Amino acid sequence: MNTILETHQVTKYFGGLTAVDHVDLIVPENKIASIIGPNGAGKTTLFNCISGLYNPEEGEIIYTGRPINGMPTDQIARLNIARTYQNIRLFANITAVENILVGQHPHMKTTWLECLVKTPKCVKEENDAVQEACRLLDFVGLTGMGDHLALNLPYGAQRRLEIARALANRPRLLLLDEPTAGMNPQETDNMTTFIRRLRDELGITIILIEHDMRVVMGISDQITVLDYGVKIAEGDPKAIQSNPRVIEAYLGPGAAALSEKLMKRRHHDVTNN
Amino acid sequence: MIAKSLQTGLRNGLIFGIIILFLVLIGFDITGSSLIGKVIGNSPPASSTKQLPYASNLVILISLLGIWNGAMAAKRIKGKSPSQSIAAGFFAGIFTGLITAVFALWIGTALKPGVDLRVYLIALSSDAIKFFLFQQSPSQAALIHLGLLAAGGLLGGLIIWLNRLRKSSVAFTRVNESFSNTATRWNLNVGILRNRYIRYTLYLLGFVVLIILPRIWGSYWNFVVGTVGIYIVLGLGLNIIVGYAGQLVLGYVAFFAVGAYSVALLNSTKPLNLHWGFWIALLIGIALAILAGFLVGLPTLRLRGDYLAIVTLGFGEIIRILLKSDLMTDITGGPRGVQDIAGPTIFGYKFSSDIDFFYLILGAVILAIFIASRLQNSRVGRTWLAIREDETVAKATGVNAFSSKLLALAIGAALAGLAGVIFAARNQYTGPDDHDLMVSVNVLCLVIVGGMGSIPGVILGAFVLKGLPEVLRDLENYRLLFFGMLLIIMMIIRPEGLWPATRQRLELRGGRQEPQDVLPEKLEEKGLEA
Repeated sequence: MNTILETHQVTKYFGGLTAVDHVDLIVPENKIASIIGPNGAGKTTLFNCISGLYNPEEGEIIYTGRPINGMPTDQIARLNIARTYQNIRLFANITAVENILVGQHPHMKTTWLECLVKTPKCVKEENDAVQEACRLLDFVGLTGMGDHLALNLPYGAQRRLEIARALANRPRLLLLDEPTAGMNPQETDNMTTFIRRLRDELGITIILIEHDMRVVMGISDQITVLDYGVKIAEGDPKAIQSNPRVIEAYLGPGAAALSEKLMKRRHHDVTNN
Repeated sequence: MIAKSLQTGLRNGLIFGIIILFLVLIGFDITGSSLIGKVIGNSPPASSTKQLPYASNLVILISLLGIWNGAMAAKRIKGKSPSQSIAAGFFAGIFTGLITAVFALWIGTALKPGVDLRVYLIALSSDAIKFFLFQQSPSQAALIHLGLLAAGGLLGGLIIWLNRLRKSSVAFTRVNESFSNTATRWNLNVGILRNRYIRYTLYLLGFVVLIILPRIWGSYWNFVVGTVGIYIVLGLGLNIIVGYAGQLVLGYVAFFAVGAYSVALLNSTKPLNLHWGFWIALLIGIALAILAGFLVGLPTLRLRGDYLAIVTLGFGEIIRILLKSDLMTDITGGPRGVQDIAGPTIFGYKFSSDIDFFYLILGAVILAIFIASRLQNSRVGRTWLAIREDETVAKATGVNAFSSKLLALAIGAALAGLAGVIFAARNQYTGPDDHDLMVSVNVLCLVIVGGMGSIPGVILGAFVLKGLPEVLRDLENYRLLFFGMLLIIMMIIRPEGLWPATRQRLELRGGRQEPQDVLPEKLEEKGLEA
């Protein structure tokens, strides 16, 4: 199995705070890798390091065999790494289609002079890009809403538009930061199905930050748990669920023992009956 | 019930009373009256030596202010009760009237012993005070003021009440319309213009009118509209930087100065005695402006927001002070500037009349509109908008923010250089005082007033801010007051500008043959499995 992304001992400090503390992460290609952890565990900071918004102080981030830490953000984006944001960050005062067109920016070639003269090449590229944007709108279920300003879209539609903008970059690696935040169970189920389609139909590798355990346990091929910036566990959903350190991180010290007791008692009850 | 009206009336009346006193103290009663006189054709004959307008115009002015006052007060009363809003308007009128009456009495009695109030306030000459008293005795004038303002207030309250009555009877179907997409609304309004041939015909018609007009309306208007045109070019250039790319550059006049001095120094006898010709100087001016843009942009575009504004503000001032300095007198002409700049020639024909320069400016405006409109909906324009909306996300989407901002600054600077070249050539003179901070502020104002990021908005803004003061010559003394008022009013009632920017409808036009009208609510239910 190919590895698409590897982080080696990545560390990011904010003053005295170690937000990400020597994290090793290996993401295999065409899988969904989830990162979970309590609030403030450093998940989003790790995302920002990978997508180049932050430059980690230590460690190395290797994407398809080459180091990308320290590279400018836009060049990392040009390597087909796209992302969404925890609190939606669309380009609010331009239309939905234009948001997606900005997402396609790395794949468009015309220079400003060609745009000025409006060469046939420029016109063709522009038309193709609009067609592609409309296709993406359909794909995320926003047909017919493309000409609305992004800020006028309802919340769920904004989330999907953000994903459409990320997909416009034709990503190989997609970083989703809490895509189901603020959604009701029905919408969450839809989103889960959708993320699975991204992996299966488009072959995109996905790194997912998520708090909804139903989603995480349902679709992850691999789960990494962070707490206070440190990786405390890694493995498939089953292994993570029963990992005592994870339970302690979420529920406090002693919780693991308690939960074990509870599990045993339940087991006992079941066998007795 | 009545206490509420009284309270509202008292508060509004007090504020309005202070406003009226202020207007009188700066002499606006005279200016306003003469404006009204001009509008309704009630001014003293031009031959008469009397400078002041007729007092009857002041009666109209005070009444209008009174109606406004009453309407403002009545608007503060919620609900449909007729007595309450009318009472509020009336009370506001009474209080304002009392303030004005007391002021009239006091100032009238102060006038009698022959005290010259002009020592304290220049607008308070004895003639002006007599005018404010309607050429009557102080007590009579006080009564007239009180009566006019009270009646006006009553009328204003009545108007508001009637308006409420009308509105509540109409079925209120457009509650949420203001939240709907502005792009859609505007495009629907100009649906006819979608037809390409109708549009081209209109362009042609407008062009022909612009060609003929300067020959008809005389050199004064050519000059005024020419100035507006230069400001349109400047505005469109700054609009690319501020409106599209969202970079607040306050030293925009620097690029204008570079253009103006390029043509000035290359086409005059003093101080350099070079005669390279206008067209070469035009190209050099634009090139130097772009170079200046790079020079400012390279170190500063990494800054954001306020920092960029302050640094560029400093740059603009540095250029002006450098031009003015004794050190540079041999090269730039120093504080006296450069005189006798030779105008452009085409095939031996020398540009000299105002009409020639009008055409030159017209060409520059068309070029600027062409550049701005082609770029705004292109790949490059979108990156600017993305940077304006959220620079961090734009970078993470693959936009090279720095080079994109630099390009915006360079194009903006080029247009400013172009405007500067034409400006200096038309005036046949340029000096440091043509390039002070006020130019930057004016251009920024017209972009904001017109509508950031909107080409028609910028054109409208240039006409409003540079053209209107010429039309309202009487207001000239109050230009800054007018600016300030206009900006504040704009921010309150139309924060997006006079003619706000709209976005093109790509999904309907380019992407799909048949529009599918899916309502947002339905879409929510449909979910993600499209």
